[in-house]
Amino acid sequence: MISVTELSKKIGEVQALNNLSFQAEDGQITGLLGPNGAGKTTCLRTIFGLLSPDCGATSINNINVVENPIAAKQELGLFPDPFGIYERLTPREYIQYFAELSGMSTAFAIEATTKVIAELKLADIADRRCKGFSQGQRMKTALAQAIVHRPKNIILDEPTRGLDVMSTRVLRDMLRKLKSQGHCILFSSHVMQEVASLCDQVIVMADGKAVAIGSPKELCALTNKESLEEAFIKLIGTDEGIAA
Amino acid sequence: MSNRVKALLRKEIMDAVRDKRSLMAGLYYALFTPLLLAIVFSAVINKVTNPEDVEITITNGSDASQLINYLGDRGIFHSDQSSSLKRIELVIGKDFSAQMNRSESAEVTLIADQSEDNLRSAISRIRNALQGYSSEVASLRLLSRGINPEITRPLKVNIEDQSTPDSKGGQLLGMVVLTIMLSVFISGMNLAIDTSAGERERNSLALLLSHPVSVRQLVIAKTLAVASFGVLGLVLVMLVSKIVYPFVPWQEFGFSINISMKFMVVTLLVGSTVAIFAASMQLFVSFMAKSFKEAQTYLTFVIFVPMAMSYAVTLDFAVDELRWAPVSGQLQALIDIAKGKDFLVFQLVVSCLTTLLLSFALLLGMEKLLKSEKIVFGL
Repeated sequence: MISVTELSKKIGEVQALNNLSFQAEDGQITGLLGPNGAGKTTCLRTIFGLLSPDCGATSINNINVVENPIAAKQELGLFPDPFGIYERLTPREYIQYFAELSGMSTAFAIEATTKVIAELKLADIADRRCKGFSQGQRMKTALAQAIVHRPKNIILDEPTRGLDVMSTRVLRDMLRKLKSQGHCILFSSHVMQEVASLCDQVIVMADGKAVAIGSPKELCALTNKESLEEAFIKLIGTDEGIAA
Repeated sequence: MSNRVKALLRKEIMDAVRDKRSLMAGLYYALFTPLLLAIVFSAVINKVTNPEDVEITITNGSDASQLINYLGDRGIFHSDQSSSLKRIELVIGKDFSAQMNRSESAEVTLIADQSEDNLRSAISRIRNALQGYSSEVASLRLLSRGINPEITRPLKVNIEDQSTPDSKGGQLLGMVVLTIMLSVFISGMNLAIDTSAGERERNSLALLLSHPVSVRQLVIAKTLAVASFGVLGLVLVMLVSKIVYPFVPWQEFGFSINISMKFMVVTLLVGSTVAIFAASMQLFVSFMAKSFKEAQTYLTFVIFVPMAMSYAVTLDFAVDELRWAPVSGQLQALIDIAKGKDFLVFQLVVSCLTTLLLSFALLLGMEKLLKSEKIVFGL
């Protein structure tokens, strides 16, 4: 469970987060939906303790991120944007490296890496260096890195950006599977279809604030609109920066 | 060492070893500098011990055959071939033989551009030879008048050389030790940039920091990785030096440069502290840079400080305080060891400790940098 309470953060002159509060529950997929510059990435970075909030707090499984960053991060997996792949390592080495950084012993890390490679059907590229990988192959490697240590909470920053249909489907299936296993999944996106088809809960963000929280259906009902896209536009009051 | 630091270190080294081009760029220095230096030293020694003939234009030489013979014995000849000719002209005065016969001062004129560096040694050789001839003739003239020529030499200067063969090669030896020490700075530089500014450029720094790893562990692992490449360069440069320098004809200069086992062991120990300093300094600087290229530019400037200190020591115009300072202190002690002189263990220990202390401060600084949002995200 990830909870964000009254979070505010100013970056330079911009109020990137403005009294933001929400909760992402276990066994659910929560989407942070907002136009470009709404503060989605800033919010995720604050949850990881990479940015410190001006006021407010974030906690992972009730562990305060500012007070106990190492323990809090232990409960997290991150699928970043951009992926941050090391081109000279193979996916196997890359995944194992981050498994060990997440606190696994070398033996456990090797075992967990083998398991996640099989799970994501990465075996054919697992021992090739990442240089020259397609976007889909990179995505799988990054996803494997995020879940190898079986964190209870998984955060994805714009996960489908630049992916083709096949890769998007792999990702979507994996997220559903993780949800059914009881993981808490939080991802940021500005792609309506993706959010509508995946999320149990949507947090609509604009100007660093949560302007509405609810399931896609609830948001449509709230705004009297047919589609999530229409509802979204009504909620944020502009159609700036939205991908269809 | 915790498992996380081990994993970080293992990855850094694996990543660096696979980056063949920058690995080699770092190690080329260690492999080829002693080789180049050996070739240069051989050429210099050869030139000094076997001075070449100086070919100049001598005008009116037929009037002064004795002088011409005297100069010829000292390797100074008249030549018409333009290829090897020095742009120096020696003009024998028209009345040279007549003046000589009358025991007057006979006129010779040396015409050359004194501002030209590559003529300087030839000019001074010619002047010395002329001076020599002059005093020889003077002695003969006095003798022919029954006067002991000794009276024109009120001073008899004796010079006793107290230098040992090894101390004679002082500056050359200084150069040798300096090239060995500098390898520590150069071998790990590419890795230092790649693992800091490069890590950020590839967007993996934020991912790394999102993991439950403390910044301290990260900083320690990266520093150890870079320092180990510095030590690798150090070992390589010493091995190449040990093989290559015996081929230089030092004995013609009256001394020898021998990379002894004792020197190698002390250098390795002392060099390790310098390697840690070099690594922490290079990482600190390149973490502040926004890109790989920017880091390269900064490091070129920063590396100048220890280099300048080292040159000061090597070329012997260093103040005594530099014996206690980081890098230059160690360098001074190593030069003394290589010269076979006694060195002050206490001074060496102090300079090693200040080196480590400075590295420690840089590590703490780096830890602070990596906790700054500005540095991590370039905000």
